[in-house]
Parts: sequence; structure tokens; C-alpha cells
Amino acid sequence: MTAGAVEHYLAQHRKIAGALPGRGLGWLQERRRAGLARLKEVGFPTQRDEDWKYTSTRPLTAKPFRDVGAPAAADETLAKKIRALSPEGLRSRQLVFIDGLFAPQLSDAGADTKGGATLMPLARVLEERPESVEHAFGALAPRKPHGFTALNCAGARDGAVVLLEKDAAPEEPLELLFVTSAEDAFAQPRNLILAAPGCKASVIERHVSLGEHASFTNSASEILLGESANVDYHLVQTQRDSARHVCGIWARQERGSRLRCISATLGGAFVRNDLGVELAGEDAHCDMLGFYAATGAQHVDNHTAVLHSAPHCGSREVYKGVLDGRARAVFHGRITVAPGAQKTAAEQSNQNLLLSRHAEIDCKPQLEIYADDVRCSHGATAGQLDEAALFYLRSRGIGEARARELLTFAFVNEVAGEIQIAALKGALESLLARRLAR
Amino acid sequence: MLTIKNLRASVDGKAILNGIDLALKEGEVHAVMGPNGSGKSTLAGILAGRDGYEVTAGGVQYRGMDLLEMEPEERAREGLFLAFQYPVEIPGVTNLYLLKASLNAIRKHRGEEELNAVEFLKLIKEKAAMVEMDEAFLYRPVNEGFSGGEKKRNEILQMALLQPALSILDETDSGLDIDALKVVAGGVNALRGEGRAMLVVTHYQRLLDYIVPDFVHVLHDGRIVRSGDKSLALELEREGYGWIEREPEATSTGAA
Repeated sequence: MTAGAVEHYLAQHRKIAGALPGRGLGWLQERRRAGLARLKEVGFPTQRDEDWKYTSTRPLTAKPFRDVGAPAAADETLAKKIRALSPEGLRSRQLVFIDGLFAPQLSDAGADTKGGATLMPLARVLEERPESVEHAFGALAPRKPHGFTALNCAGARDGAVVLLEKDAAPEEPLELLFVTSAEDAFAQPRNLILAAPGCKASVIERHVSLGEHASFTNSASEILLGESANVDYHLVQTQRDSARHVCGIWARQERGSRLRCISATLGGAFVRNDLGVELAGEDAHCDMLGFYAATGAQHVDNHTAVLHSAPHCGSREVYKGVLDGRARAVFHGRITVAPGAQKTAAEQSNQNLLLSRHAEIDCKPQLEIYADDVRCSHGATAGQLDEAALFYLRSRGIGEARARELLTFAFVNEVAGEIQIAALKGALESLLARRLAR
Repeated sequence: MLTIKNLRASVDGKAILNGIDLALKEGEVHAVMGPNGSGKSTLAGILAGRDGYEVTAGGVQYRGMDLLEMEPEERAREGLFLAFQYPVEIPGVTNLYLLKASLNAIRKHRGEEELNAVEFLKLIKEKAAMVEMDEAFLYRPVNEGFSGGEKKRNEILQMALLQPALSILDETDSGLDIDALKVVAGGVNALRGEGRAMLVVTHYQRLLDYIVPDFVHVLHDGRIVRSGDKSLALELEREGYGWIEREPEATSTGAA
């Protein structure tokens, strides 16, 4: 089954391989070859693979998505449509990609560097200053990735690079906007965020669709946080319900750094998020927060892994979801505490509301602890609305339908409420409310 | 305003109310007292429309309507209010949001203009001051992390805002220290008057020092076994509920 799909994407790859950026860079070509070899070796995952047990890749492999040869013409009409998909009042510096290809006319013009933050398309970085990314590019993704990530490693055409200088504190969020547009488009963005010591920044990785066409986005992002760096990373999925998305985010944190990763899945027919964080230096802390609202036949799979490899680090993970219709969600949370990572404090929670008898959540916490002086906790729930709370609201004159909506919203919004960018928070809250109201 | 006739109800097949008769007129405050398990909270719950009770006989008329046929939100919109014994915590919904949604639902039902944010804020701040509640509580999720006393105060705040025609207070005094009790009673007393009635359900006489009832009813084993004026509450305070056990066949005597 997947062999045919692998063949299809290998053929796609052969078509574009000659046009990949940075082909003169030995180290890069080496990493691409490794990705290709890995893909040929393992193929695409199936439900026989433990990490894909509850997620069928059929929505990805049953249809031949195709690489879009040239970027769509970026005229004013298109710009308008894309602006309409942006959170109202959000002021950000933006790089825009359409079907995986950089759209310079739609991206913020002017200096690449502002407030100590450089925002550039990957292809240009690889041509102009490859030395700035060589040490990190491809170094944070898993050594033995699954087939989709391997495919991205082999042939991502472009993506966004964010370089944050030492102690930089850009005022505006840096936004990486990925738009799918063409029919059956296949897009493979590859992003890299390098946060030098002491910097503080907000990054938004946002995925949207123009129109109803089906699409497949296979994205991969790496985040390297230097000492005491502080990054808020927002993964925002608001594509149409015809979009498929396999998304990987891998971060490595040095001493005293802080990462808050907030993932919002409010769209897409099929979404698989892999989030991996290594706490590599002492006193580092990460928050892994996520919320999802799925209905119809949507499938949302969050696979998270945090590796405590240094002592005195903390991780806090909270994922909350609401499932209606025949929607299905998967949550897999792995906490690994390496030998010697004493005084680790790790907590994980996954809570789900099932609004329909046909909705399903498969939840699997996994703790691997090789140190003895640690505090680790995890909890998972799947349930219905609290009847006592429902009665309380109704006894105050609030109608039953509205009371249910309000409680459902409140349940998920506990996580959304942690977003610090007011415009983004407001937009996601209204989108969430709209999705729950229909 | 409220007429309860031969109300019988059970929970999971077990009879809890065994024929309650009670009538509240406008302007009256009635206290229902009784030992644990006598059916006090069941009565309050049935009147407010809580699920889980089966009414097996009798009925309740409220302002000419068949109360038991109404949804809980309809009862609230028609002016009935239950102050909960155990107010529910609702993470993610702020107190302010609940109060505004509630008031506007009721105003809309009455055909009145909904209050805008500014008007509402002015009104709720006045009410919060009245029940001596710190405004910070308005912005916190409903009852989340509130102490027992703060939760009860929050109930009275809601009551003061909604100005219900019929207030049912279910053990509002439990878990309150004397200062909180006075504040709560102050809020309740401010609502007393023409056109309103109250049903105060309590285990102890203490609350009735501050909310002086017109009538006191003693509930035992799902029946009203005695009714009287406020002196009945004092008698209960002196004697305890033991005499009820000793005189199981005691009958209702009406106001003394």
C-alpha cells in the first residue's frame, strides 16, 4: 500500500532534486541523501508501527499529491485573500509561502534584520550564509525519523529561517505563514529557528488553506535555544477540512532556556503533530500546550516527547481536546528522564471531552525514568460535560444549548487562554467558539 | 406565589418526600428546618429543576404556572432562584461573564433591553460592594478556588443582581463564620419586601437570628411535621431534633 505512495514521492523528488537550493553544499547534500536512504529503507508508516497504531496514513497515501512547479502569481487579490485569513489586529513580521514556495511579494519587505531578529527564506540562507545554519540544520530532528520526515529531509524546497541574535528582543511576533492553494498540492516547508543566548521572541507557524482544494503539507521545524533564551512558539492549524498535515517540531534547549510551545489544531482533515523537546542544559524549562476541536471525520494525532537529559529541568504538558461527530484524536506523551537528570519535574495531562458516542480518543502516556530523584506525573481523562456545572448555568437562566457551548468552550479555552499574543488569542478563541457552535 | 401540594418524590426508587404541602405568599419568608436526611435539599432541588428526582405524586404551582413542567432556565427566567448548598466551580468561565449572561437572559425574557458592558459593570460593582466582595472575584473563573464562604457570598451576589421573585436558599449558612453570615443575611434582607418571597432551608437556627422568618416548618422523613412562627426555631435550638424522633406521629399545627 505505502510502497506505491513512496514510489510516487520518490518520482516527485527526482523531478525537483536538481533545483533544490544549496546543492553545492556537501554537508547539506549528505543530509539529504541520508533522508532519501531512510525513506527507501522504512517507507511510510503503517498502523503496524507502534507510533502510528491509531493513525492510518491512508488519507496521505491514497491520493497522489503533487509538487507545484512554480509559485502562484502573487497579485493584490491573492494578498487580500490571505490577509482575510489573518487574525484581526495581529502585527507580525511575516514570511509567506504558497504551496511550499516562498512568496516574496506577499512577505514583509524591507530589511531582513530588525530588532536583532533575521527572518529569511531558507533557500536564500543556503545561498548567502549557509555557515549560519550548518550546525543546526537537520541536527534536531530524530536520527531515525519516520518516512514523512525523511522525505522532508531529502527534498524540502524552502522554508523559513529565524536567526535571533544574542539578547535580541524583537517587539513583533515573527510569523511563518504557510498557505495551500493549488489542487492536490504537496508542500514541504523546512524551518529553522536559532535563538542565541538571552534572546526573547515569539514565533508563529501558521497553516491556512485558500479554497476547498485538498492538500498535503509535510512540514518540519527545528528550534535551537541557547542559554537563557526564551521562545514562545505557536503552531496554528486552521486549514480547511480537506487539508492533510504531517508536522514535526523538534527543539533543543540549553541551560536556563525557556520554551513555550502552544499548538492549536482547529482545522484539517488529518493532522499529525510530532513535537520533541530535549532539555539539554540545567534549569531549562518547557511548556508543551495544545488544544484541538475536531468534528465530522477529522483526525488529530499529537505525538509528544520530552527528553530530560540534564538535571534541574522542568516540563509541563497540557493538551485538551473536544471531539464531536466521528472525529478521532490520538495523544501520545512520552517523558524520558535520562540517568543523572536528577531533580527533574515533569507533568503531563491530556483531557478530552467527547460530545458524541462515535467520537474516539486514544491516549497513551509513556514514562521512562532512569533517575531516582524526580517528580513526574501524568493524567488522562475522556468524558462528558459536567452535569452539575450544566445545571448551575441553567439555574441562572442560561439556555441548555448555550450552557453546553459555554462549558465546552471553557474546557478547551483553558489552554488557549495561555496564549500571550492578544490578537492571536482572540482570533483563535472566536474560531474555536464558531467551530463549537455549529 | 408558590403552592406545593402533596408533593411526593423519590431518588433511585427510594421515597424522599412523602407528601409536602406548603404555600408561600408574596412578601413572606419561610424557613424549612430539619435534621440531615429529612428531604430539605431534595425539596430545594426539585423546585429549581435539578435532575435525578422522580416526582411520584402532587404538584407545584408557581405564579399560576405548573413549575414542574418548566426547564430550569425557564424557572430562572420567571424569577426563581436557588442559592446552592454547594456552588459549582466552572473553570474557564469568568464570574463576570456568567453574571452578565444570566442577567441578560432574564432581562431578554422579560422583554427588557439587555445591558451593555458599561452599564453592567457599574451595576455589578454596586452589588459586589453590597455583599462586601472584592471586585477581583468578578474576574476569576466561577467559584474556582473560592473558599466556602466566598462561594456562598457569590451566590448572594448573583441573587442581589438578579432580584428574583422567589429565592430558595439551600443551607446557605453552612460553612460560614459569623461575619460572613451577617453579610449574607444582609444581602438577603435587602431583597425582602413586597412582591418577593423566600424559602430558607437550614439545619441550624443560627441563620434565622439574622433572617427572621415569618413561618418556620419542620421537615422530618419527607413530611412537614410541624409549622409555627419564629419561636419554633428557638424551640428547636433548645430541644434539638430529638423530639421529632420521639413523636413520629406529630402533625402539622399551623402558625401559632
